[in-house]
Amino acid sequence: MSEMMRNRLMLAIALILAAIYLFPLYWMYITALKTGSAMFATPPQFWPSDPQWHIYGDVWQSRNMGRYLGNSLVIAFGAVSLICVLGVGCAYVLARYRNVWVDIGLFLILMLQVLPASLMITPIFVGFSQIGLLASPRFAVILAIAAKSMPFFVVLVRATFMSVPQELEEAALVDGNSRIGAFWHIVLPLARNGILVSAILIFMQAFGEFVYSKSIIQAVELQPASVGLNSFMGPNTNEWNNIMAYATMYVTPILAIFVLLQRRIVSGLTSGALK
Amino acid sequence: MKRFLSSITDGKGFDILLVAFPLGYLFLMSGLPLLYNVLMSFQEVDMFSLGTFWRPFVGLKNYRDLFAQPETLPILYNTGIFVVASIAGQFLLGFGLALFFWTNFPGASWLRGLFLVSWVMPGLVVGAIWNWILSGDFGVLNFLLRESGIIEGNIFWRSDPDFSLWAVILANIWLGMAFNMILLSVGLSAIPKDLFEAAELDGANAFQRFWTITLPMMRSSIGAIISLGLIFTLQQFDLFAAITSGGPNNSSNVTQYWAWDLSFRQYDFAKGATISVIMIVFVMFASVVYVRSTRHEVRG
Amino acid sequence: MTLQIELSGVNKYYGAFHALKNIDLAIEKGTFVALVGPSGCGKSTLLRSLAGLESISTGDLRIAGDLMNNVPPRKRDVAMVFQTYALYPHMTVEQNLTYSLRIRGASKVEMKKAAAEVAATTGLSELLGRYPRELSGGQRQRVAMSRAIIRNPKAFLFDEPLSNLDAALRVHMRKEIRMLHDRLGATSVYVTHDQVEAMTMADHVVVMRDGIIEQQGRPLDLYDRPANKFVAGFIGSPAMNFIPATVGQDGLSLIVHVGEPQTIVMDRALEPGRSVFAGLRPEHLHAADAGEGTFRFPVGIVETTGSATYISTATTPEITIVDTTRRSIRSGDVIELSIRPSDVHVFDAETGMRL
Repeated sequence: MSEMMRNRLMLAIALILAAIYLFPLYWMYITALKTGSAMFATPPQFWPSDPQWHIYGDVWQSRNMGRYLGNSLVIAFGAVSLICVLGVGCAYVLARYRNVWVDIGLFLILMLQVLPASLMITPIFVGFSQIGLLASPRFAVILAIAAKSMPFFVVLVRATFMSVPQELEEAALVDGNSRIGAFWHIVLPLARNGILVSAILIFMQAFGEFVYSKSIIQAVELQPASVGLNSFMGPNTNEWNNIMAYATMYVTPILAIFVLLQRRIVSGLTSGALK
Repeated sequence: MKRFLSSITDGKGFDILLVAFPLGYLFLMSGLPLLYNVLMSFQEVDMFSLGTFWRPFVGLKNYRDLFAQPETLPILYNTGIFVVASIAGQFLLGFGLALFFWTNFPGASWLRGLFLVSWVMPGLVVGAIWNWILSGDFGVLNFLLRESGIIEGNIFWRSDPDFSLWAVILANIWLGMAFNMILLSVGLSAIPKDLFEAAELDGANAFQRFWTITLPMMRSSIGAIISLGLIFTLQQFDLFAAITSGGPNNSSNVTQYWAWDLSFRQYDFAKGATISVIMIVFVMFASVVYVRSTRHEVRG
Repeated sequence: MTLQIELSGVNKYYGAFHALKNIDLAIEKGTFVALVGPSGCGKSTLLRSLAGLESISTGDLRIAGDLMNNVPPRKRDVAMVFQTYALYPHMTVEQNLTYSLRIRGASKVEMKKAAAEVAATTGLSELLGRYPRELSGGQRQRVAMSRAIIRNPKAFLFDEPLSNLDAALRVHMRKEIRMLHDRLGATSVYVTHDQVEAMTMADHVVVMRDGIIEQQGRPLDLYDRPANKFVAGFIGSPAMNFIPATVGQDGLSLIVHVGEPQTIVMDRALEPGRSVFAGLRPEHLHAADAGEGTFRFPVGIVETTGSATYISTATTPEITIVDTTRRSIRSGDVIELSIRPSDVHVFDAETGMRL
């Protein structure tokens, strides 16, 4: 088989595999548009015969999505800000040196990365309630998420800093900058892209966070969209088109960002994750 | 004092400060809770003593009670199955995809990235979608299985105790497959191309090249990926909350969900802490394996 | 005369790019052939086509008489020494050597014996248990060669094997490789961009540029009678000087245009009035006593290595001279040079072909 034909064949197979893999997403989108009876039709419709576009507006209103999504944004932005402020400097130092202390630091950070949220929530909840943090629950969640995701952020950003040649920083120092100046004016701008990609990844994780939010935030007005979705779904729930519409509106912004930045995200992951 | 202040802008002080705050924060927010977990597992905790620190010390009572409960062993068993099946599925499918995309036809790298979509979606949304797909009477999965002749009647994935765990496993494999694929792709591309050319000239066919060159050179990658898989699988919570909530009757319950359930549904924080401690030991072990396997690299 | 490797009318295309253009090459058994040329000339492509790692678009490729056009590499029975050595990092030296035998299902006893034999020839007996990462560059090179030797292949293919070594080691390994070739009675094809390597090691040199063979032949033939300006400038170091010139009206002299026109009397007839390049090798320009030289040039830069003095003239084009007489010459002096007419190469100004 000639090379061009082989390439076409591989591409075709790859598209089929991708289609199979992405089927659940497709299913989410069309279920949202189905009428009540179309949802429960057998055989199931693979293309909505009567798309109910108004369902998005309905669900947005009836489930208060604006408020839920607003809370998700508050939590996500808060967590990312905190993580960036603390994590960037840490990653910079860990990238700059290679000695016993750095190895210990990295090891500790890796260890802290592995702890499941559902196991950490117990002491965190009890501890927070003791010091009264539960009175500002979204802030408490931000703190908890920051602790959970920071190790991953540090690992990724450290890889970015390691790709900035040390000579540039040394040249800046010789030119008269202090360490702070060299860091701020030279190193940081060069690492900006890597930091941005890592921040976006962390943002997406925080936007969808569930365990901490559900456990810590009791007041419905302060709950984020993930908890909102969960409250929607009981054991005997029936309104799948509404649920899927909610899910669609929740998830599409993230998907859009991802598709745009897909290349960057993959290369950021591959350079950092396996080290 | 002045020396210290000047070293902040210009020397070691700067570095130490930059690291001290984050590490301090992590210690406070992750390290202390860890220790607190251990402490609570030795205490008797109830709704009224939540506010205080010094609660009655009961030694290993919580642990003994835990293992005396009838559901403990089945849940541990479920966790084992969940972990093994998820990792196996994610790894094998991920490896297959990685090998497929490794042939690097035009368009491969872009298409490969698409698979990561599952990883950036909120776990709860993934769970919700799969919940609907796995619905007994109206789910599309049952439809496809029936049409292709694989099954006759509907499988009630979510409510049948024999299948409920597998429902979550299925969703988890879908979720984690792409991450495996990307990491394995990285490992595959790290193998120098001329090794395969040399092996081919030495007489090896495709299967022999895979067995004698590809697999051995991927050993440390595979070790890292499997231990990462173990760590992430033990962290999986959202899917359980969205699909089965551990039921029916604990048939799909696993330790990490159970720990949360004990604390936040049954308000038995002590038991929740106890399970957490046991699990954390497990997870720490896996992460030690991970760190060690990423340090051991085979260089040319 | 047995032809071990034969290429007739071979062309290779990468999409629209014509990488190899009508290559004809016949290599007898036991010959050491060097493929030289600048980067991108197609020498590596040609070598890889011989191995089967690249396919050829048209033409015939035969190894030991058998047509190999569509035969996969593992069936061609040729061995290759890669530029990066391509040693299997997860195997010991011994396992590296015996890999090809293992694939064919040889017994442990056979493999051990074969490895020991080859290791003795290449001086690796002490290193059989080591891993490639524990070896020096020269040792790795020898392992790569031993791996090829153990297979007793129909041909050895070398892809710039010495370019990763330092200069002194390179000189030493050149000799070792050639000695090994002689001892084994092998047929070798050796790709390099270094014409010194090609000249010193090969029986037959093939000069390539842009996918075609510019000239092939014995090393000294290429040195003495280069077929065109490119080959003349490529072979020999320092490179030949090219000076624009016109053939005199009598057809027996060359008027060279550098500084003020100067005349060389030739020993052969040329077409009068033709525009040409005069090719003068730096080592053929001899310093003459005052008044006796053919040329007078102002001296620009003088560099001495102790064994030779390299003189660059302050003219356009700049002319390089190699002088071994330790004559005292300084920048700013005027130097008088002479050259034997038989040492003057003439190339057509447009086509570059030898006249």
